[in-house]
Amino acid sequence: MLYKKKLPMFLFLLPGLVLMVLFLYLPFGENIIDSLYELQFLVKIPGQELHFIGMANYQKLLADEHFRTALFNTIKLMAFTVIFQLGIALLLAIFVSSLKRGHNFFRTVYFFPIVISSTAIGLLFKLFYNFNGGMLNQLLEMLGHEPVNWLSPELAFTMISIPVIWSYVGFYFVIFLTGINEVPQELYDASKVDGCLGWQQVYYIILPLMKNVIGTCLVLAVTGALKVFDLPWAIAPKGAPQGKTHFLGTFLYEQTFTIGNVDYGSAIAFVIVLIGVLAAQTINRIFTRLSKEEDSL
Amino acid sequence: MANQFAICNGVSMKIAMKWLSLLLTVVLVLSLAACSSRNKYNGIDAFGEEDDNIEAEGEKNPVTLTTISMYGGTDPNAANYQAVISQFMEDYPYITVEDDSQAADQDWKTRIAADFAVGNEPDVIQYFTDANASDVLAAEKFVTIDEIKAEYPDYARDTLDSALEAAANPDGVRRAVPTTGYWEGLFCNKDLFDNYGLALPTTWENMVKAIEVFQAKDIIPIAVSLNNVPHYWVEYLMLSAAGPEEYTKVPKTAPADWCKGLAMFKTLRDMGAFPVDTDTIDNDLAGELFKTKKAAMQLDGSWYASGITDQINTVVVELPVIPGGKSKPGAMVGGISSGFYITKKAWEDLDTRDAAVQFVMANTNKEAVSMYWGGNGQAAAAVSPSSNMTPLGLSGLQYSDRATSSSPPTDSRISQEAYNTLIAGIVDISTGTKAPEELLNEVLAINAK
Repeated sequence: MLYKKKLPMFLFLLPGLVLMVLFLYLPFGENIIDSLYELQFLVKIPGQELHFIGMANYQKLLADEHFRTALFNTIKLMAFTVIFQLGIALLLAIFVSSLKRGHNFFRTVYFFPIVISSTAIGLLFKLFYNFNGGMLNQLLEMLGHEPVNWLSPELAFTMISIPVIWSYVGFYFVIFLTGINEVPQELYDASKVDGCLGWQQVYYIILPLMKNVIGTCLVLAVTGALKVFDLPWAIAPKGAPQGKTHFLGTFLYEQTFTIGNVDYGSAIAFVIVLIGVLAAQTINRIFTRLSKEEDSL
Repeated sequence: MANQFAICNGVSMKIAMKWLSLLLTVVLVLSLAACSSRNKYNGIDAFGEEDDNIEAEGEKNPVTLTTISMYGGTDPNAANYQAVISQFMEDYPYITVEDDSQAADQDWKTRIAADFAVGNEPDVIQYFTDANASDVLAAEKFVTIDEIKAEYPDYARDTLDSALEAAANPDGVRRAVPTTGYWEGLFCNKDLFDNYGLALPTTWENMVKAIEVFQAKDIIPIAVSLNNVPHYWVEYLMLSAAGPEEYTKVPKTAPADWCKGLAMFKTLRDMGAFPVDTDTIDNDLAGELFKTKKAAMQLDGSWYASGITDQINTVVVELPVIPGGKSKPGAMVGGISSGFYITKKAWEDLDTRDAAVQFVMANTNKEAVSMYWGGNGQAAAAVSPSSNMTPLGLSGLQYSDRATSSSPPTDSRISQEAYNTLIAGIVDISTGTKAPEELLNEVLAINAK
């Protein structure tokens, strides 16, 4: 036991708890109530009477085609995030950790996109993809090809997912690299004696010892994909084109702030939180079960 | 003894010098104050006329006036508005204007509504006068023009009665003093039409011909962002199909003519009239296509004219009546949709009340209106056309003079949520994913809530 007296610990924890309750849990509760009333404005206008509509917004969600697209896109993005964002980050971390020189250089290069704001990256890619005079089409025209509508309904999801995934690879790369560097050198030396080299070391030493790190990154990546908003909105707002690139975050924003359907936006927000909690819990349980299975071996 | 006398004499000299210096300092300070007071109040009031009572302003308390307007950001009148504020603060040195103007968009409107709801409203605000203001009007925080005129009979004296009436709120009460009105018209790059031997699109046949020819020549016929600002096309197509009378009604179910008008989005899209990326570009980029002659036509508001670089080869024409449309040629969308309000918060404080009145008068007198108008749209005061108007300015003026009717747009009649739902559904209408009737019924149901 680190501290015997609990009272000072409690006192130190209290301000944080109060802030969380005031600025997170209470508004969240308010948000759930808002989703049950007819609301056109973010704040209650004096003299305005609120009309109770019960579960109407949740029923509407079930029938809303744009919501289904947003949900499907978000799930797809979660999968892409896990496969590509974490996958590429892990590969890069393994490669960089095996280098004898240039650690810091690659760490800086791969981490750099994290420093740039998502909106700036979004605007950058918007200019790349622009049909009239965008960078990609300028290159195509220089090579004698016809310009491509990079944000056409068929291509838009992929083209938006690329910067979304790329922009956060560096974040997980740094976490993975730190995790790999924590693996004791003796284990590598011992494994070499047993003839375990290259990818075998990755499979038998790095991955098992990084299990907790990977688990945490998975939770962060999946919940991060659930909240994605700024970058897709900067490239193609309102789910453009034709609502094909709506994510739960962009759909929530459009309904609340662009259309002014605040109660419907509140219902979407509640669903996003529910999905986030469910996803995080599922991943945690999977990893806890894996740990228990390993311990029992 | 002589020494003592010399010392006493020296001390008294020093005291006398001290008193003399003090006296000189006081005289200097008083004379400076008098000079600055005379410079500050030159006897010119907000109407640009000499005012005998203005000397009394030397005794007025310092006032900080909080103001908000739509003349911010990229608005063509942003610089004019700032010039008016600078002049106003020079004329009334005891008033400090703290201005927070921004170009109006949905996020801005949400912020303003929130400010009014929580009691954080400014002293003076230039805001919408139609249904767009319904959320803010519900808070009942504006002073009516009648109340202000009872105290300040000269208030809004340069503003035309018809303009004041047009700027009345949906409940018929006059609270806002407008500066300018607007029209919406079809801007055409006349040089492109001339290059390809095309007549301007004053008839639907000409319009179809122009779309076909321009498309074949790799010129975008109509610059528009259906995902961002399809508003002007929504208005014109519905007006053209239904005629001014039916267009300005608020029905409970979708009228067949409105549906016919909106169905034209799909016809035009299928004809290839819009940019390939009309679903993803924003309105600014669409505007650039027109301004750089990559597009031949753009439907926009009168405020758009001042931002066009080629003021010589650009003209404004009436959008032709669509096939089977009930509208007469020359039916125009336009009106007055904004004006300066004084809030009750400012009115209840006597110092702020006076400052707010002077500020609104400085922005709505003939000189200011003339500057804001600049030939674009309609002036809310009796101003003379400027002698140095560009050919595009003159074209716009002639276009609005030719108008056979002027109808305010749909968002002045229905709720914001309903209108925003209509706008958000236009891409689906243009692709045929949604039927106009389905969208309009959804919109009218939201409006009826």
